[in-house]
Amino acid sequence: MFSKIGKTTMRSAAWRISLWATLAFACGTMVVFVFLHRFVSKDIQRRSDAWLSGEVEVLGDVAARTRKDALYGRVVGEVAELASREVPNRLLSSQGQNDSVFFLQTGADGSLALWVGAGNGVAYLDAIRHGRRVTDTPTDLRVDAFDIPFRVASVAVGDGTRIYLGLSERDERRLLRSLRFRFLLLWLAIVLIGAAIVFYTTRRMLGHVRGITEAASRIGESDLRSRVPTSRRKDEIAQLASTLNTMLDRIENSVHQLHTITDSLAHDLRSPLTAVRAKLEMALTGGAGEEAESVVTAIEELDRVTDFLNKSLDVAEAKADALRLDRVAIDLDQLLRSMVDLYEPSMSERGLRIQLRSAERVEIWADSGLLHRMIANLFDNELKHLPPSSTVAIALRAEEGRAILLVEDDGPGFAPEIAAHIFERRVKGPQSNGHGLGLAFVEAVARAHGGSTEAANRIDGGARLIVTLPLFSGQRKENSCSVALLSLSATK
Amino acid sequence: MRLLLVEDEIEIQGFLKRSLTEAGYQVDVAGNGKAGERLAAESHHDIFIIDLGLPDEDGISLILRLRQLGVNAPVLILSARRTVDDRVHGLEQGGGDYLTKPFAMAELLARLRNLLRRKASAPPEATRLRVLDLELDLLRREATRGGETLSLTPQEFVLLEYLCRNAGRVVTRSMILDQVWGMRIQPDTNVVDVHIYRLRGKVDAEGRRPLIRTLRGVGYVLKDR
Repeated sequence: MFSKIGKTTMRSAAWRISLWATLAFACGTMVVFVFLHRFVSKDIQRRSDAWLSGEVEVLGDVAARTRKDALYGRVVGEVAELASREVPNRLLSSQGQNDSVFFLQTGADGSLALWVGAGNGVAYLDAIRHGRRVTDTPTDLRVDAFDIPFRVASVAVGDGTRIYLGLSERDERRLLRSLRFRFLLLWLAIVLIGAAIVFYTTRRMLGHVRGITEAASRIGESDLRSRVPTSRRKDEIAQLASTLNTMLDRIENSVHQLHTITDSLAHDLRSPLTAVRAKLEMALTGGAGEEAESVVTAIEELDRVTDFLNKSLDVAEAKADALRLDRVAIDLDQLLRSMVDLYEPSMSERGLRIQLRSAERVEIWADSGLLHRMIANLFDNELKHLPPSSTVAIALRAEEGRAILLVEDDGPGFAPEIAAHIFERRVKGPQSNGHGLGLAFVEAVARAHGGSTEAANRIDGGARLIVTLPLFSGQRKENSCSVALLSLSATK
Repeated sequence: MRLLLVEDEIEIQGFLKRSLTEAGYQVDVAGNGKAGERLAAESHHDIFIIDLGLPDEDGISLILRLRQLGVNAPVLILSARRTVDDRVHGLEQGGGDYLTKPFAMAELLARLRNLLRRKASAPPEATRLRVLDLELDLLRREATRGGETLSLTPQEFVLLEYLCRNAGRVVTRSMILDQVWGMRIQPDTNVVDVHIYRLRGKVDAEGRRPLIRTLRGVGYVLKDR
């Protein structure tokens, strides 16, 4: 469950957006910090160098002026001691003893003349001897037993001796380390919080988009009355929603217009047809013989006109994706069995054989009236166009969420000039005496249910029609109860 | 049987009234929803025929108002629309049936009878049906004519049962398709006729008095006399 959520989250755009945004933010702040760090460390070095140079100058001055007597060591040592207390960036060492500064004077022969600092200064002298000390500007000096180098400034005193003032870079480094550590903590916190905020807001925003998408797809297949959710804010997403809604308004309007036209056309034609039919029926009860025969023919013609009217209007509506569906769960397998049962006598009357290959329940979610008529059209089509002693093979199977209905025959197949347009309105074979609406109707109904149709001639002769319809998922039951009455009245 | 017809088309109103009266109904006629409601309130009617497209309102709202007034009689809805509104389906059980225009008069009468029969408390289900010398055993699914067993397929038996239950009354092709096969279709081909033809071959075999009669342009009837 959790991993599933994790997977869907990682696939979402919100996740990607927040990942990239966080990455960009983290890199940006890191670069800024690196520059800042360099600036700060240089500044600290500059300050301590300035201090060292100044102090060593003063000490050199003091050393030059002080008389070289027994007090010389004390005086210069005192001054050096005093100076070491003014160390910049100073942190007391753990022992409470100041080992971060040393003062050293070498005699003319290079031996240790004066030492102020922790220990006896031999290690320092060794380090100075090994290093090349020529410049007056402060340089780094590595002393054994210390990990951290000293920054050392030196000055030559007139009598051939040389004064060295060293300052450990320990405090400087410690300051920079604490700076880095604090920054890293802060940086991590900011990056994490930023990522969370970005993820949350984009997910909310994209959640709106997803809501709109879901609502829009629902509207497409069920009804045109509902609208996508809008929010009070006037951002891009709200604009998208309102644009979609405006578009839906327009579509609903056109569909409504189409319905009004087809309904009024149907109404205006049906009322007179009803009256005419009734009159003919009445004439039939009175008449006999030849007269009655022509009246009966007239009634049959009238029924054909009505049927034609119905089919044309249905096809017209379906072509405009405006068929009104009243869906229920239908078992295609059972429907085909009753349909075969219904058509079998007519088929064998005409010398046709019919076979049905279907194993199990294949449930779809469809308008039962339209679906029945669609299947009847397929059967009628075979019945009308096949020469005697042909075989119609009907196969039904469920595959990858779709019901596939295959209708094959070993007749002459479709005439080559119409094969490509067989599902279009008013397209019919040269020998056909129908309206050319049957297969157009089949296509229209399949389309209205989210399915498709295919027609081709088989390689070994005969025609093949394939109707594909989405299987019933078992979740869309909203209006199944509203048709209960109809099915009730149909079965009673 | 008193019937209220609410239909605005004068011509249809006229012939419906005539045919219904001939069929033995006592017919009141209203040309719009208001008049229909008034008539329904004034006196009791056993059954209603209401057109969906009335000049002043929708037939459905009239039916719903009548139901609110406590009128429970079944309603046969006439519709000139091809597809029937969800609300028609939503009418409660006993609310009725619908018929789309144009329709065969025989079918209208048959559906009215169905509605009235459905409303009446169901009689104890018979196990045998008898029409002259034709006898159907509904439990054993066997039919005999003059004592001789007819070899019928299960489907043929259901068809014959339907004709017997409506003996003496006309049934149309669309009623047969609806009631026997459970389909509301209008086939381009004569599928029902072939079934009847086969059935007739077995029931009305040569030398027997023909029972199943064809009324061309209308449907079939199993004559009981």
